[in-house]
Amino acid sequence: MSSLSARLLLSVSLLLLVFFGATIVVLDVAFREAGERSQEDILDGQLMALLAAAEPDDGGELVMPPDLPEPRLGTIGSGLYAELGAQGSAPVWRSRSSLGLHVPFPAAPQPGNHVFSRIQLADGTPLMALSLSVEWELPSGEFRPYTFNVAESLDSFNAQVAAFRRQLFGWFAAVALIMLLAISLVMRGLLRPLRQIEEEIGEIEEGRRQALSEGLPTELDSVARNMNLLISSERGRSDRYRTTLDNLAHSLKTPLAAIRAVLSEQPGNDVSRKIETQIERMNDIVRYQLRKPALLVSDSFGVTSVAIEEQLRRLVDGLSKVYKDKNPAIELDVDPRAEFRGDTGDFLELSGNLVDNACKWCRSRVLVAVTPLQGGGMCMTVGDDGPGIPEKAAELLLQRGMRLDESTPGHGIGLAVVKDIARSHGGDIQFGRSPLGGAEIRITIPGQFNK
Amino acid sequence: MRLLVIEDDATLRESLGRQLAESGFGIEKASDGKEGLYFALEYPVDLAIVDLGLPEMSGLDVIREVRKQGKTYPILILTARDRWQDKVDGLSAGADDYVVKPFHFEEVLARVNALLRRSGGWASSVLEAGPVSLDTSRQELKVNGDAVELTGFEYRIIEHLMMRAGEVISKTELTDRLYDQDFERDSNVIEVFIGRLRKKIDPDNSLKPIETLRGRGYRFALQRNRAD
Repeated sequence: MSSLSARLLLSVSLLLLVFFGATIVVLDVAFREAGERSQEDILDGQLMALLAAAEPDDGGELVMPPDLPEPRLGTIGSGLYAELGAQGSAPVWRSRSSLGLHVPFPAAPQPGNHVFSRIQLADGTPLMALSLSVEWELPSGEFRPYTFNVAESLDSFNAQVAAFRRQLFGWFAAVALIMLLAISLVMRGLLRPLRQIEEEIGEIEEGRRQALSEGLPTELDSVARNMNLLISSERGRSDRYRTTLDNLAHSLKTPLAAIRAVLSEQPGNDVSRKIETQIERMNDIVRYQLRKPALLVSDSFGVTSVAIEEQLRRLVDGLSKVYKDKNPAIELDVDPRAEFRGDTGDFLELSGNLVDNACKWCRSRVLVAVTPLQGGGMCMTVGDDGPGIPEKAAELLLQRGMRLDESTPGHGIGLAVVKDIARSHGGDIQFGRSPLGGAEIRITIPGQFNK
Repeated sequence: MRLLVIEDDATLRESLGRQLAESGFGIEKASDGKEGLYFALEYPVDLAIVDLGLPEMSGLDVIREVRKQGKTYPILILTARDRWQDKVDGLSAGADDYVVKPFHFEEVLARVNALLRRSGGWASSVLEAGPVSLDTSRQELKVNGDAVELTGFEYRIIEHLMMRAGEVISKTELTDRLYDQDFERDSNVIEVFIGRLRKKIDPDNSLKPIETLRGRGYRFALQRNRAD
């Protein structure tokens, strides 16, 4: 369970279930017990009425008058049944209501005791029964034991309890539902800033935003501020790292240039040729090692979206000056949906090497096309109308320092660097044939890439 | 042609300056961005070589300021940071070409010559006008296919005039650009050299390659041959 609101809703639902369940049980038990108490009182009243109505007859036996005050006893199947039993014989009297029914009253209790019990009719109807044994003093002065039994059907009582339960469940369910709804609404409100932070972090990762916005609730504000600090220090760190690399390159290469300049003033001899070789080696190492892709020195925090068309335009304008004599027609075809998420320096390094190579090799035309990839990212192809690259040479070209034609100025490290940058962005480099007739180099960089 | 070299590394600056001077250029040298900018704006300069990593003021800022002040002479950048971003930044700021350190002097010289030639409107390193052709990479002057022997000074004058063929170039400008600072500036010397050049290029006075415009200066008068 990863969502906070789902977690909260689940625990609140469980809590509600436990609390409401307990409440329902307590209320149900209380209602039922109160109902049973009143049921017993009613039975007690009926029994007292029977006791009062019983009269000994002339024969000295106890009998019931035909007209009883309770009309239900005279109605067949009314649900209220009574019986007057004498010890050791069949009941002396049975109410009219129990005509045709066998009401299984319990055995007579000890004289003077009254006992409540649950019995059942043959058809399964539950009854509550009250039995009272008495020693009746007959006119003859003799004491005879009699048992008064009254029973009432619990059908209507059970129906009442069931109705009460239904209502109880209905109301509690409604209340629980309203509470859950209210809680999830409150949660939405409470979680909105969190969701906002989540979205903004996504935008930062995609390079569409520089920092988290301000004005969050107090509890989250410090989180956001610390996060912004982290982001900017992270950015600063990678900037500093790159500046350090640049300065290092500068401070290593200027002396190399000075050595070379001084050397070229000397008459050429064996020593100067040897030194020259070493200068070239050092230069290659510095060039390759200090031109690491920015991705290796920063992480996703520093990443922004590069304005592809604008940067390519600057590059082409610049190269047009450099190749003014050759004056190649450099055509740009950039789909604005294409994206390069990363360092502008990396993008220029990729495109600079490729377009510069194309300008070097072309006869008169260079075509640079950038198209979006499915799921973000970009595919950049740089083609020319030059002699093309033999297939066997392609892999060789990607190796560091390899150069196919020593006569064309260039250091041969370019393509290896392009490959490194493309790979460090999760992309790839391919060679092909351009529609213009010469070589075409295709770079694909996916949109989403984590180191 | 007078070049300005702005480079903070003394050994490199001096060596580069010496070799360029040997190749026939007048040289100004500056060791930081501020001094470089001052020279670039105040001195007669035909081309500036600017290192990007300068103290006091970055090479990029120097280039931007030079361009902002309306100077249009070519600028060659020297850069140690050979990231494309730096090259593109430099070119966008107004530079015309770049050389990556550690360079060979020949590379710098080739770029300088190409930039100067281009800024004079020439497409090839051999400047041709009528029967006169000047090979700037070999520093060789030919008239009707015959090589003409020139002194270094004479070569610098004819190169300057031919580079900007058709334009009037004042005596002061020629003096400024052709003398090094330690020479005594005397415009009469220019007249003497122009006279010698005329005799060498046009002994029978039929071509009249160099015009004198009284009070204004000199002009290389022959039409450029369209090579392309």
